[in-house]
Amino acid sequence: MLRRVSSFFSKNRQFIPLMATALLALTAYGIGAYFFVGMRNPQVFFNLFRNSAHTLISGIGMTFVILTGGIDLSVSGVVALTTVASAVLLREGWNAWLVILLMLAMGMSLGAIMGIFIVKLKVQPFIATLAGMWFARGMCFFISDNAVQIDNYVFHILGKTKILIPGLTELAESQGNPAPFISIPVVAAFTLLLAAIFIAHYTRFGRNVYAIGGDEGKNEQSARLMGLPVDRTKLLVYTFNGFCSALAGLSYALFVESGHGLYAPGFELDVIASVVMGGTMLSGGAGYVFGTLFGVLILSVTQVLIQFIGSLSSWWTKIVIGVLTLIFIGVQTVLANRKSGRSGAQPAQALPEAHRKRLAFVAGAIALIAIAAFVSVSRFGGASSAATPESTQCIVKPFREEEAARLIKDGAVIVYNRTAGPLCVDQLYAIYPDGRVTGNDGVNQVERQVDPAQVGNLLTAISVDHQWFTNEIYSTYLNPCRQCFAHYISVSYNGQEKAVTGVDGTTAMPPGYAFALAEIRPLLPELTSEP
Amino acid sequence: MKKTMKPSFTWRNITESRLFFPLVALSLILLFDFIFIPGFFTIENREGNLHGSLIDIFRNGSTVMLLAIGMTLVIATGGVDLSVGATMAIAASVAGILMNPSALRNEVFFVTDPTYTFQPLGVVIAAALFVAILCGLWNGVLVAYMRIQPMVATLILMISGRGIAQLITNGLRVQITYRPYAYIGQGWIVLPFSLYIVAFVFLVTWLMTRKTAIGMFIESVGINFRSSFFSGIDEKRIKLLVYTFCGFCAGIAGLVASSNIKTSDANNIGLTTELDAILAVVIGGTSMAGGRFSLLASMVGALVMQAITQSMYAIGVPAFALQAIKAVVVILVILLYSEQVRGFVRRISAPKKEV
Repeated sequence: MLRRVSSFFSKNRQFIPLMATALLALTAYGIGAYFFVGMRNPQVFFNLFRNSAHTLISGIGMTFVILTGGIDLSVSGVVALTTVASAVLLREGWNAWLVILLMLAMGMSLGAIMGIFIVKLKVQPFIATLAGMWFARGMCFFISDNAVQIDNYVFHILGKTKILIPGLTELAESQGNPAPFISIPVVAAFTLLLAAIFIAHYTRFGRNVYAIGGDEGKNEQSARLMGLPVDRTKLLVYTFNGFCSALAGLSYALFVESGHGLYAPGFELDVIASVVMGGTMLSGGAGYVFGTLFGVLILSVTQVLIQFIGSLSSWWTKIVIGVLTLIFIGVQTVLANRKSGRSGAQPAQALPEAHRKRLAFVAGAIALIAIAAFVSVSRFGGASSAATPESTQCIVKPFREEEAARLIKDGAVIVYNRTAGPLCVDQLYAIYPDGRVTGNDGVNQVERQVDPAQVGNLLTAISVDHQWFTNEIYSTYLNPCRQCFAHYISVSYNGQEKAVTGVDGTTAMPPGYAFALAEIRPLLPELTSEP
Repeated sequence: MKKTMKPSFTWRNITESRLFFPLVALSLILLFDFIFIPGFFTIENREGNLHGSLIDIFRNGSTVMLLAIGMTLVIATGGVDLSVGATMAIAASVAGILMNPSALRNEVFFVTDPTYTFQPLGVVIAAALFVAILCGLWNGVLVAYMRIQPMVATLILMISGRGIAQLITNGLRVQITYRPYAYIGQGWIVLPFSLYIVAFVFLVTWLMTRKTAIGMFIESVGINFRSSFFSGIDEKRIKLLVYTFCGFCAGIAGLVASSNIKTSDANNIGLTTELDAILAVVIGGTSMAGGRFSLLASMVGALVMQAITQSMYAIGVPAFALQAIKAVVVILVILLYSEQVRGFVRRISAPKKEV
């Protein structure tokens, strides 16, 4: 039996990383479903795809780039630029379909330009695409400084259409769940995936891509000597990735219905990590487009697990993904070293021995991850195992700006509104010059009296010591931080009125703003906030 | 280096020098500033300390200069370290949490007392640098002993490093008010204090690489690690050394950066500075494929990057839009370095030599 398993593995060795990824993604989901009843809801499973359609789309293009031995760091920039440019063009009243075509053309031309730099001027891929990312991100802010809302019928239809899964509707309804659905970007992503698999494995272009990558550039040289169109292939690959980035940007814009230059920070790292976890060698030449799907799945399952566990913060995602990437790269390196014969000095009969060891290593690594995941989920998850999708997804209420303006009119000097946070609160406080502090969270009202001098000191500190905080804080609720508070402060003092919004923890807060926040909070009365 | 030391200052020798292109780039930017920004070159004397835009270039460039020192050595061995930004954040977080542990109580908390610190300054700095060295060591082990591609190996720490930094600070921005610490990035002794740190690290590195055989070993590993192995150089240990040193430099840069903004911000400290540092080295003329390196040229490269930033701020380009301009400049610099342009310069220089 063991021998049979062993021979199966040795025959399909190139599939090991792919199988490991698929197994890991499904195991992780299985563990989650075992602990959290909410995760057994089929919609949670389909949300994995809905939330990561743009990662998958971008990952497909990135797989091709990495297969040729290159890398493209510009994807996050192009995604952000696409969201902003499309949002602004739609605001100007352009036709939605024209905008979509234009965005795809823009992505392709950006990709092609970077490709020309890489191919013709022999610039290192990672420097050329880095410049591309800076350029794209910078252009976003030339177009618009602030987030632009997308209010377009076609985009609305494309983003909000629910595609029901045939066969699952009745099943879900019999269990009392709403019918599970996916969205149009998911369909687009899977269509692209099928097309990409066809291109990679059944066309001449695909074979050229595989021929170019790998072995530290030596394969590229051989491909060139064989007369393969290396330059044209590379150029096409970067152009294709530009197309994918623009498509990813469009699906992101559909998902969030707005555009901003700070969207998708560090997105390229997520995409590269997914591609690597999908079993593609970062040195190029080996891997499968199909594997990227599982890489993306691992990423989104990790995010969902961390959301469900609830007591873990979102940055754990980064650490988990980093560790997983490390393990996958480790396995790849072991396999590659074996293939290229760096350890080939050993005698022939020692090979099966070494092989078994390696197999044991891979199996051990997977088992270790599974155990670690199991233990951590059961440890951290115990506290909030009742977590359901409803309670983990805090519906952030908009700031009560009008109410704040009314309070200011009534004589308040500082109005402070804080929403979200671990308990998903929505509290509005007003501080009056006579030291009266009131607060309400929509249900309860509280009042407290502090020393008027304290209020005076605070105002002087804000206005003089810190010369008022600036208004340039970008608050976005798309922020990955799930435990943070969103703050809104409005100050009226000395004839000046200032209002600032921000999110603590992850957005850049100017020191003056952080100071104001930290000094205001001790003055506030306790609100017994309901969970 | 040797070429510039020769007394024959012919046109060819000058253009072939490593310092030539970075200096040309720097002077072009400064010329631009001279023409378009009035008062860019004025240096004020405030209570014996020198202030001005020119000084600011040096002061704000000190983090990139520190990173560039370590990065030059790494790139000279044929590797690259993408994790320096994350290492900076980790070092800054360690320092911040040791001085102001209030973030562990999950609150945005502002200590306003400038003399308060949880641990003495020596412990803070030592701990931060120790952790940074550990980060470098980790990269070095992955690259040298596990034989993982440098870009991939350091990518892992780049991805997870910010997560680790946030883990340390509990995901909050830690305010630093301890005044002696703020002196690292904000103090002045005629010139900004951070410049002395840069000068010290540079001098030590220069002595280490140019007055001992280590520099030659690094270059030979970068040119061909196999043949250097056969000629008796322990290439693994050399690689381990340079990555560890790069982590150490990143740690110092993290201290300077966090003390400069009086905050240790796991998310934003050192964000994309790894790219600035790599570009500084590239502008300095060290090939990404490894081999010959020049620390001084990398320093000039770092100044070029900072001079661009500073002049764009001076003409009032918003911070975010600055990236687009930086990208264009980087592309121009890369074009300047391409074989076509170099060949063109050589063609100009050829007839002059005959004369």
